[in-house]
Amino acid sequence: MHPPGIEEITIPDTVEELLGGEEERLDVPWVVIVWNDPVNTFAYVIFVFQKLFGYSRAKASRLTNQVHFEGRAVVASGAREKCEADVARLHAYGLWATMQKDD
Amino acid sequence: MARRTFKRARDGTLKVTLYAQEVELLAMTARDMMTIVEEPPAGEVRDRLYPRAYLDPTEEKAQGEYDALVHDDLVRSRRAAFEAIVAGLDTPPNNRGLIEIALGPDEEMQWLTAVNDARLVVGTALGVSEDLDTDYERDDPRFEYGVLYGWLTQLHFELVTLLLDEIGVAGSDDAVIDATGEEPDEEPDEEPGDEPGKGDA
Repeated sequence: MHPPGIEEITIPDTVEELLGGEEERLDVPWVVIVWNDPVNTFAYVIFVFQKLFGYSRAKASRLTNQVHFEGRAVVASGAREKCEADVARLHAYGLWATMQKDD
Repeated sequence: MARRTFKRARDGTLKVTLYAQEVELLAMTARDMMTIVEEPPAGEVRDRLYPRAYLDPTEEKAQGEYDALVHDDLVRSRRAAFEAIVAGLDTPPNNRGLIEIALGPDEEMQWLTAVNDARLVVGTALGVSEDLDTDYERDDPRFEYGVLYGWLTQLHFELVTLLLDEIGVAGSDDAVIDATGEEPDEEPDEEPGDEPGKGDA
C-alpha cells in the first residue's frame, strides 16, 4: 500500500537497470538531418517524408516547416547502417540529408 | 478548364499529356541531364546532386565507404530515369497535336525524381534563392534557363500535388527526438483543406 497520488517505487537491482535509458541510447546513437535548400518545394519534401518514412501528413508537414524555418530537422534516427540507408534514400530523392552522432 | 498534365488512369497507370513543344523541351533537358548527373561540374551543382552523408571531417573513412556503396548506383539510377523519360517521349502525337503516354509505378517515380533533379541542377546553376524568382528580363543571359526552371517547377508541382493527394494524410506520428535531445513541441493537426504550400522548403 502507498498513499494515494504517490506511485509505488521499484528499487532497481542492477546499475544496468538503473541506467536503462542510457543503454537504449547506445542502440540509437545516430540521427538523420535534412537541411533547408532553396529548390525543393514544401509539397515535395512533405511527400518524400510521407513516402519514405510512412509519416502522417501532420508530422511530415511539421518536419518540413522545421527544415524551412529553422534550417534543419532531425527526420529519423537509429543505428549507423539504418541511418546511412535513410540518407541514401533521401539523396536519391534530391534532398540535402546528412547524418551525425546524436550527442 | 486548364489541361492537366498528369492524370491517374483507371488501370492505375499515370497518364501524361504534353504538347509537342513541351516534349521537345523535356527531351532536350533530359538528354543534357544524362551527362550532367554522370559528370557534374565541380562545385555547387555536384555538391547539391551528391551531398556528403557525413559533415563531420573526422568521419572521412565512413564517408568513403558511403560513397563506395551508394555513389555509382545513384549516378546510374539518375541517368536511367532520364533515359526512361526520353524513351517514353518517343511517341507520335495524336490528332490534336498532344503526346499521351502512360507511366507504370517505377516510371512515375523516375519522372518525379528526374524532373526534380533537373530543377536542382538548373536552380543551383541559376543561384535560385528563396527571395528571388526566376522571371529574368529577356536580355538577361539567364532568361532561357529561368523559363526552363519555371516550367520544370510547374510540371513537378502538378505531379507532386497529385501524389500528395493520393498518399493521403494518415501515417505514423511518433515524436522524433530533435538535435537538442528534446521532444519537439506538438502542433495541432492540420485542418482539412490546409494544403501544403508551393513555396520552397
